[in-house]
Order: sequence, then C-alpha cells, then structure tokens
Amino acid sequence: MIFKAKTREAMVGYLFAAPIILAVIAFEFYPVFAAVFYSFTKYQPLQVQQLNNTIVPEDTLSLNLMVFPDDEGLSVEELKESFDLRFFIETDVGITLNKSQKEALRYFETERLLKDFLAGRLKEEVTVKEFMGQYVVREKDEFMKYKPNLVGFGNFKKMMDDPYFWTSLKNTVVYTAIVVPIQTFLAVFLAVIANGNIRGKNFFKLVFFIPAITSSAAISMIFKLIYAKPGVLNRVIGTSVDWLQNPATALPAIMIMNIWTTSGYFMITYLAGLQNIPDTLFEAADIDGASFWQKFSRITLPLLRPQILFVSTMGIIGCMQVFDQIYFLIENMRNVTLAFYIYRNAFEYSKMGYASSIAMVLFAIILIITVLQRKFIKEEAYF
Amino acid sequence: MDLQKKFRITVIISYAILIAYCIISLFPFLWSGAVSLTPMTYENENGEEVGVDIMKWPPEINIFKWQFFGAPGTGENYIKIFEITPFARWILNTVIYAVLVTLGNLLLDSVGGYAFARLRFPFKNMWFILFLSTLMIPMHVKMIPLYNLMVDYGFVNRYIGLFLPKITQVSGLFLMRQFFMGIPRSLEEAAKLDGASIFTTFFRIILPMSKPAMAALSIYIFMGTWNDFLWPLLITSKKEMFTLTMGLNFFNATYYTFWQYMMAASLLITLPMVVIFLSFQKQFISSGITSGMKG
Repeated sequence: MIFKAKTREAMVGYLFAAPIILAVIAFEFYPVFAAVFYSFTKYQPLQVQQLNNTIVPEDTLSLNLMVFPDDEGLSVEELKESFDLRFFIETDVGITLNKSQKEALRYFETERLLKDFLAGRLKEEVTVKEFMGQYVVREKDEFMKYKPNLVGFGNFKKMMDDPYFWTSLKNTVVYTAIVVPIQTFLAVFLAVIANGNIRGKNFFKLVFFIPAITSSAAISMIFKLIYAKPGVLNRVIGTSVDWLQNPATALPAIMIMNIWTTSGYFMITYLAGLQNIPDTLFEAADIDGASFWQKFSRITLPLLRPQILFVSTMGIIGCMQVFDQIYFLIENMRNVTLAFYIYRNAFEYSKMGYASSIAMVLFAIILIITVLQRKFIKEEAYF
Repeated sequence: MDLQKKFRITVIISYAILIAYCIISLFPFLWSGAVSLTPMTYENENGEEVGVDIMKWPPEINIFKWQFFGAPGTGENYIKIFEITPFARWILNTVIYAVLVTLGNLLLDSVGGYAFARLRFPFKNMWFILFLSTLMIPMHVKMIPLYNLMVDYGFVNRYIGLFLPKITQVSGLFLMRQFFMGIPRSLEEAAKLDGASIFTTFFRIILPMSKPAMAALSIYIFMGTWNDFLWPLLITSKKEMFTLTMGLNFFNATYYTFWQYMMAASLLITLPMVVIFLSFQKQFISSGITSGMKG
C-alpha cells in the first residue's frame, strides 16, 4: 500500500484508458487538425515524394557537369563557372522549388559541394532532403521537411468556381434527400406489416438483414450485373439503357441500390420500437373502426418518432458520405459525390490541400446535422 | 364477422408484401449465384462450343438438372478465381486485418470502457466529451492526414498500416461502457471487501460476465473490418497486400467482362458474413448496433 486507494484508482483508470486516449489523439484529433491546416494550403504529395527520393550526388553532379571527379585537370573555379545551381536543383536533384525555397538557395554552399565532388566524397546514396540539408545549412528546414504553401482561403475561392465541386455537392444533397425519406418510409411500412399477426417473423428478419451485412463492394458488383447494358434489368423490362453510364439514370440507379441495401436492416430497428407499443392501443383503435392509415399516422408514427429521428439522422450522415458504390460503379464525373470528389482530388489529382478544403465542407454539413439531431433528441446517443 | 374477414384479408396482404420484399432482397444474390455456377462456354447438342447468355429472361434455371441459363452447372469458376488472382492471399490478408482489429478492440475497448464506466480519474469528463465529439468526424476528413502519417512511418502496404488506426474505436468503447454501467456495483464492492485489486476485479469478475457485450462488439467490428473498402484502398497498392474488397476492385478493373468470375468472387466474400450472421443472429438483431453501418 504505497498509494492511497483514490490515487491507485486514478492510476489504473489512466492505464486502462491510455490506449484509446493515445489512439484518439493520433488517429482522430491529429488528422482533423491537420486536415483543417491542409485546407488552407497547397499541399502536394508529389513534392513530399521528391524530398524523400534518393540520389547518388556524385552521379547527379556528373550528369549535370558532364565530367567525372577523376577527370584530369579539373578545378573548383572552372566547374563553378559552368554550374547553374537552380537548374541543377530543379532538374537533376528534382525539387519543384517554392518561393521560400528559391530564396533559401542563396545559402547553398556551392563551393563546398564542388570540392566534395572532386574529392570523391559524394559516392554514397542519400535522400534529397539529407543532401539539401548538408549544403543549405542555414535554411535547412526549408528542405528537411515538406512545408505546404499557405494559400489562405485560396482553396475555398477556387471551390466556388469549380463546377465539379458544385455538381458533387448537388448530387450528394439530392442523393440524401431522396434516399433517406424513401428508405425510412419503406422500413417503417415493412415493420408495421411484420408487427401484425404474422408467423415466421424471424425468417423475414433474417432475409431482410442479408443485404445489410454484405460488403458495399460485393453489392456494387452484383448490381453491375443488373444495371449493365446487356444486364438483367434491361432484359427483364425490355429496354436497352446503359443505366450506369447514362448521366440521367446513374445516380437514381445507385439510390435504388442503397435503398435496397438498408431498408430491410432499418426495418428491424423499427420493429423493435413497434414491439414496445402496447397492442391494446391498436385493439382500441380497431374497435373504434380506425382504418389502417389512421392507425399508422395517429399511433405508429408518433410513437416511433424517436427511432425515426435517430435512424434517419444516421441515414443522412451515411448518405452524405456515400463513396464505395460511386467508386465501383460511376465513371461519369457528372454523377460523382462529395466524398468521391475529395478522394479523387487527393489521391488521383494529387491536390491534397484542395481535397481537404472540400472535406471541410462535408465536415461542416455533418456537424450541422449532428448538432440538430442532438437538439431534437435529448437522450444520450444510442450506444 | 365482417371484422374477422377484414382481419384475414389484412393478414394475407401482409404475407404477400413480406414475401414480395423477401424476393426483392434475395433476387440479386440468387441471380449472381446462378451466374457464378454457369460455365463460360459449353458444348450444345450439336457438339458446338457455345457461349452462355447469363442475362437470359426467363433465366431457364433448373436446380434438379443442375442447369443454369440452359447450360450445365459447374463449380469451376470458384476454382478458377484462385488461379487467375492471388485470391487465397487476399483471404489471408482480410482475415489478418479483421482478426487483429477485432482482438485489439475487444481488449482495448473493454479496458477503456471499464475506466469510463467505473473508475474515477482526473479529466475523465473532458476525455469523454472529446471522445463523443470524434464520432461525428467523417473518414473523408481524416483520411488524407492519416494516409500521410502512414506514409511517413513507412506503413503503406503493410499489415500494421491497415490495422493500427482501427485497433481501438470510440464507438466500441461506448458499447462496452454502456454494458458495464448496467452491471450492479455490489459485485465490485464485494470483491473490494475481499481485498481484490481493480485488475483482479475487472479481469476475473467483470470480463467473464461481459460475454454478450463482447460477442456483439466482435461481430460489429469484424463485420465492419471485413467489409471495409476505403482504408485498404488507401493503404494497399500491391496486389499481394489487397484485402478481399480490394480484390473485388481488381476484378472490376481487370476481369470486367468475366461475369462468372466476378460473381463467384463477390459471393465468396459475402458467404463468411452470412455464416457468421446466421450463427449469431441474436447479437446482430438485439445489440442495437447501428453506427458504422452503411447509410
């Protein structure tokens, strides 16, 4: 008993919570703050890569000067005359210089480099940043670590003029606005029916759940078979539309796929809610001669309100981030969503700064929805 | 009498609607199942080698004669996909990814959840609110810095890069915390009186009682990881490091005219989830697992 019980409890508490606290700091907070920072910069991963590339300085210099260090009769002065530092750094070392890096080149110790070259001290392979660090001692930070250029609100201004940003935002909003009400209605409707005097409820639940446990990748592939031009849907209804390539039908096709995926699953959530409503309420309504719709709108919907609010906000948040299905099935840029456009900018166009600023828009939308949800639903989250 | 008749009609309509929706739910799977069992070509009555129309309507499926789209059924596609791609390796990668993430969450979410449910430590409430706030951060906001972080540490195309960022998750912590809060305190107080330390109490008494919650957590995490596509898309670029969902992406890009292979691969990926689901239906349906599901 070295510590008091209270101290010991606090220590064990931190020990138990330490892994997740560290994980949250490293994998939640750091990325969010970094993303906010990136969104105000021109962050180009290709330049990060340039600094991590390796060179053998001797070979690189030989290539530039067209001489070898053991050639006879070479002097530093002579080499210096024909040496163009900017050209050497940009072309042979391979750094796309930004403004402050260009200025930092003033401190580049050309003479020392050429001496080392002639003395044969540059035979070892080094990374570009190590190389620059050795010869730009005074401003070495400019090269040791990639610093994205701050552009202020530049990315956000650019976004305003980017038609694809607006298209993807519009697609995302339309997608959510159509999918969520339909899937909610369908799920509640199915739940009400299954809540009646039905046998084999468990069987129906099982079947309805299967699309929800299937990976979005597999679902996308299966629906490709259905939506393809020579596909099942065209054969069954006798048309010849390329559902996924045609910009007018591509997004609705994905919406139907998503409604199909989630409605059955949400139905089970609603069914659990319905089973908490006492049967006597419905029996009383039956005796009073209430119709199916009257019971539905006067009893079921008001009593299911908390579930509907919760599930549909989850639905909205999920829909706003729809990505996998778009990645698998959509080729036309007119049909992409915000999440996909973020991915494409960051990982296909190598514009991580711009992508981060679009991500901020997505973040803001989701933040607003969550805050509204918290306002409407007082209870603690469902976990 | 009239009421009873009305009641019967309602029941019949209810069954009709539910069965119709069952068919809608299963139709895509059944069709792709049939396609996956169809040969690429087959020999017809005249001894000619002909292709199969896998989009034929009506599909001409006869289970008893084992015929699909008029052609004799075959399991060949399921073998072929292992020959033309490193499919076995992809299964291994996915199992490693999903198992490591699940084990990590089982241990770390439980201890963390217990700390937040029962133990008193400084700044607990602050951490709790901060944790809660992370739930609304979309992956698409975090993914760029997270990816760069993995690049900096050289974790790209390695298992550690796949599983490390997912090894413990706030939603899992909340699930466990909620469960622990439902356990009566008297148990722990009794253990304390007997001189048991917090460690002993947790690992010997609380954890063995938490099997239902841990089963729900494992299923939720395992399924989410097995089906995950975005993170493997960022972290794996070498074919040998692909997970199954990335493997499907590979089929989609390379074998997009070979419907038979694509469907066999899609169903093989789905099958383990269905098996797990059927064996643990209760945990699936009752655990209130809602977040993390696709929207």
